[in-house]
Amino acid sequence: MNRPASDTREEDAPEQAPPPFAMAGGTVRRDGREILAGVDLRVAAGEVLAILGPNGAGKSTLVKALLGLVPLSAGRTLIYGEPPARFRGWHRIGYVPQRLPLGGGVPATVREVVASGRVARRSRWLPALGAGRAADRAAVDRALRTVGLAERARDSAHLLSGGQQQRVLIARALAGEPDVLVLDEPTAGVDARNQAALAAALHDLAGAGRTVVLVAHELGPVEPLVTRTIELGHGRVVREAARETLGRTA
Amino acid sequence: MSEMLQYDFMRVALVMAVLIGLTAPAVGTFMVQRRLSLLGDGIGHIALTGIGLGLLTGASPVLGALAVSVLGAVAIELLRARSRSGGDVALALLFYGGLAGGVILTNANGGGSATLQSYLFGSISSVTAADLYVVAGLAAAVLAIIALFGRELFLLCQDEEVARAAGLPVRFLSVLIAATAAVTVVISMRAIGLLLVSALMIVPVAAAQQLARGFWGTMAAAMGIGVLSAVSGLAGSFEYDLPPGPSIVLLALAAFAAAVAGGSVVRRRRARAGAAGDAVPAGTGAEARVDAEAEVLGG
Repeated sequence: MNRPASDTREEDAPEQAPPPFAMAGGTVRRDGREILAGVDLRVAAGEVLAILGPNGAGKSTLVKALLGLVPLSAGRTLIYGEPPARFRGWHRIGYVPQRLPLGGGVPATVREVVASGRVARRSRWLPALGAGRAADRAAVDRALRTVGLAERARDSAHLLSGGQQQRVLIARALAGEPDVLVLDEPTAGVDARNQAALAAALHDLAGAGRTVVLVAHELGPVEPLVTRTIELGHGRVVREAARETLGRTA
Repeated sequence: MSEMLQYDFMRVALVMAVLIGLTAPAVGTFMVQRRLSLLGDGIGHIALTGIGLGLLTGASPVLGALAVSVLGAVAIELLRARSRSGGDVALALLFYGGLAGGVILTNANGGGSATLQSYLFGSISSVTAADLYVVAGLAAAVLAIIALFGRELFLLCQDEEVARAAGLPVRFLSVLIAATAAVTVVISMRAIGLLLVSALMIVPVAAAQQLARGFWGTMAAAMGIGVLSAVSGLAGSFEYDLPPGPSIVLLALAAFAAAVAGGSVVRRRRARAGAAGDAVPAGTGAEARVDAEAEVLGG
């Protein structure tokens, strides 16, 4: 693949589509402490990138900064060639947050949570009618099948196990049919059976050529899919490695 | 019932009770989901200042309450977005300022404690047909906002960061829901009173979530419970000469108690059905621990 490491200025190369994420010198300061300290990271389309590192290394902050959820105090980051504030193609991005915000509050069925992932695909002003509604339903069904929760669609999401809830959140992101999936610690606190289901779902996605960025403590069953790893330590990239993978062959 | 309907003000009040019973729990569903159950309470405090201003300037107290409580709600939302810890104290200042200011302004107007009482605890007999038109218009606006933005608001209330990563205008939607809550407070204040207004936003939702599995199901059930308690509370207050607001709220609380009892039966039956279909039964101790951890992380 042709990718000069220093080139993050996609405006200068119109013939080449801008990559999903390009961060240059990304720095995040909070309470006077540098949580990210000048990270250069470019994620090419079709990559399966794993961000590794110990607790407090800045992994979650990095993915949030890539998505523009945490503002940079220095450096810059682009999503498909646009700064996050000007980016409009959010339907191309699926974000799976780390925490499980399903407990408590008002109950929601698995299907309701997953269907809310379609929101970026929909016009804000026009209710979905006919074909749009059918497309919504089909995408939600597909997402539920991918994570293996089709039979639980009508159950309350907060009554599922932690691992199943994590799969609900992944299905929510998948329902939007994104080109890029960003997952923050998808395997944390998830039992082996659910980890395997998760790996199978990611395998399908990677096989379909989607870009995946995932934060992980340790890779576990998703290891064969990963094409590149970076390791963070104290807000810096301390190691980077391309990997031989099996996942691409699917 | 038929005797009650002979009075014009009771017919107006009953229509109003239906509107309140529909709108307050509908908005309240989002508030409970966002863990802002007490926001309506605070807006009620602030609205009192608006009533005082309305009385003082000779404008309608309802319009005064509407303007001040919407402004207050927007201010609360902006404070909340700015800082978590400082926002908490700022909210308290706003609430108490609103209540104290309202009492002073109402008194300055020579309103006395009878006027004050009617706004704090509701007074149906003073409701006019003109009030009803205002309330009906506002209720239609609130329900239209929920119909139009319901999906976006649902995602926002589930997870603000995911909503932002879906490209939703998070700040606009947050202000929208706060402003909608303020309008709902104004809709409900004549019948229920400012001090109890948020009870009808929250209690029917608390009851409904014992029974329903889903978000929209909870909202629909809450609206049903809301209408039922508002109408029967009003009828009861006419029949037995009780203040309407507290009657409505006590009925909603009774519905909550019944739902808790009914809900535990429903859940036990569902858990048994779930255990039969799945090797991992829902609601075991281990899962409860996972959920508790998640809340610590999320908080």
